[in-house]
Amino acid sequence: MTMCRGSCQGAGRPDMTPVYPTAGSYPDFARLVNRDTAQVDRRVFSDEAVYQAELRQIFARAWLFLAHESQIPGPGDFIRTSMGEDDVIIVRQRDGSVKALLNSCPHRGNRVCMVDAGSKARGFICNYHGWSFGLDGGLRGTDGKVYEKDESFEKAQIGLTPVAQVASYKGLIFGTFDPEAPSLEEFLGDFTFYLDIMLDNEEGGTEFVGGAIRSEIDCNWKFPAENFVGDILHAFWTHQSGAQAILGGGVDLGKRYDELAFQASVYGHGIETNLDKVGNTRTLGYPELVDYVFDLSERARARLGEVRARAIGAVSSATVFPNMSFLPGQNTFRVWHPRGPGKIELVSWTIVNRNAPERIKDLYRKGVMMTFSPGGVFEMDDGENWEYSTRVNQGFVTRQQPLHYALGLGSEDLERNLPGIVHKGSLNDANQRLFYTRWAEFMEHDNWADLQNGATAAPARTRAAAE
Amino acid sequence: MTDILDISRPFTAYDRPADAETERAVTRFLNAEARTLDREAYQEWLDHFVDEDIHYWMPDMETRNRSDARGPYRHGDSAYFDDTLSELKVRVARFVEPSAWADNPATRHLHLISNIEVYETGDPSLLAVCSAFTNVRNRNETDQDVIHGRREDVLRRHGDDFRLARRRILIVQNVLLSKNLNTFL
Ligand code: FES
Ligand SMILES: [Fe+2]
Repeated sequence: MTMCRGSCQGAGRPDMTPVYPTAGSYPDFARLVNRDTAQVDRRVFSDEAVYQAELRQIFARAWLFLAHESQIPGPGDFIRTSMGEDDVIIVRQRDGSVKALLNSCPHRGNRVCMVDAGSKARGFICNYHGWSFGLDGGLRGTDGKVYEKDESFEKAQIGLTPVAQVASYKGLIFGTFDPEAPSLEEFLGDFTFYLDIMLDNEEGGTEFVGGAIRSEIDCNWKFPAENFVGDILHAFWTHQSGAQAILGGGVDLGKRYDELAFQASVYGHGIETNLDKVGNTRTLGYPELVDYVFDLSERARARLGEVRARAIGAVSSATVFPNMSFLPGQNTFRVWHPRGPGKIELVSWTIVNRNAPERIKDLYRKGVMMTFSPGGVFEMDDGENWEYSTRVNQGFVTRQQPLHYALGLGSEDLERNLPGIVHKGSLNDANQRLFYTRWAEFMEHDNWADLQNGATAAPARTRAAAE
Repeated sequence: MTDILDISRPFTAYDRPADAETERAVTRFLNAEARTLDREAYQEWLDHFVDEDIHYWMPDMETRNRSDARGPYRHGDSAYFDDTLSELKVRVARFVEPSAWADNPATRHLHLISNIEVYETGDPSLLAVCSAFTNVRNRNETDQDVIHGRREDVLRRHGDDFRLARRRILIVQNVLLSKNLNTFL
């Protein structure tokens, strides 16, 4: 880009149309995940170059969770969040649609929205020189109309860069910076079958409790994401103290584990679950909630079928690739925002059924706070594990040692009539292997045709089960 | 319920300072409480400092425009603590487990309490007490977490002593700059 030297008449007028990055290909980084030996090279957790590649290949392309529809019910309601390390504003338009905008003024780059959230905004005004933007991100005016008096100034093409695509799935708003990305439904694939356990177990759908709990953990973002995608194993040891405090005993996966428990994965999104109905809900410590979920589960059988109805409150956890996680039945919902290879910002909410009684909603709010918030008896013991799993890799020799992801090799379930790549038993590294396989696909491929047709795609024979 | 016991209402104008003797006694109570928490003597804390009807609340502190009627916090929204006695007991039950790994090896705690103000209220058995705190936790070699904030306590007189009936904890952080909250404030 060359700049006008001062005497030109419009020839050097800035082109302010949005710039969306293109992807590259990083086969060396893709090889850090070794599917043949079920090993992951620790550089995926510590290397700055790998991290920058993640921002380009994953966070600038994947559909990322932005907000719940209930957080911005009316025109001008907005919240601020991140996509990777990019700061974005999610704002309800006057026509009811939702836009997501880069939170950076095109003039000198200052952030135009400083707050976590707000309602009924008319637009956003930059604090630096007073450029003002409408809810749609378009430049509306400048302070003192200085620019408007300048004939060469064309404000019509200036605005906050919109996130290239925004779409919702059953209350959850997602966005992607990639104009070429396939639809949200295609990105989620048949994993929507499992999302519905949480999002569509009752008429009316879900909503978030107000506010959010934000905290910082000095860990790589993938450790918590892989933990929720399929690591129920850690619960026995890490969370023994929390289970003892709430249940008066150790972690219990519930009855008929061998027969019922499974892991399922589609495009790196994964869920591990037993079908014990209320195992997760029990850990919130309120018998009223357990009764509520038993009833809900009965009622949901017509809507979701037997398997999913039993999973509503079961011992389970899930991650949508790359960094959104939730616990069915526990109702914590969270995003692990990357902040460098060794740091995350965790934002967590409580998700409840919109039509649940107020009393039930409040018990969920309190139960999530008691278990999965920074002072919660379960979450309390997670952070240090992830921090040291990350930090030890500062050791040069330490980070040459590959990590072991080999629990449950050969446990794929080819019989069970469920969508996705299904493995037997929830105590299994299968979903984590597929999470890193998906990660490697994003590192390797610069196009969506390859991304959507690789080893993490749901096998064709399972497609019918999703109908 | 009298207004002062309504956890959702921050203290406004309490203008009748308690007498010097009461103020000294309250200061002794708060300092002894801090020392008990520093020692991680959580059961003692429940037994000797906390009243049966305790409501212990620490809301999430949002960054909002001054014009936003919601304000930075609201009771009923997300919180770090919103506990009755039975819920505080659950937290204490975890702390005493040998497998509470985030506390084993032990965290080194320091609760610094300052800016103590003691006011009489409309109810002679209840005092409104404001204080500020610096909470320091240090673990392993170099892990350190510091939290600053204010507390608004309602203390109930029990003979010559007091018990904590309400505690509203307002920290100055928006994003909690820590991985966890393995303490009481
Ligand atoms: S940086 Fe926004 S108006 Fe100048
Ligand atoms: Fe955990």
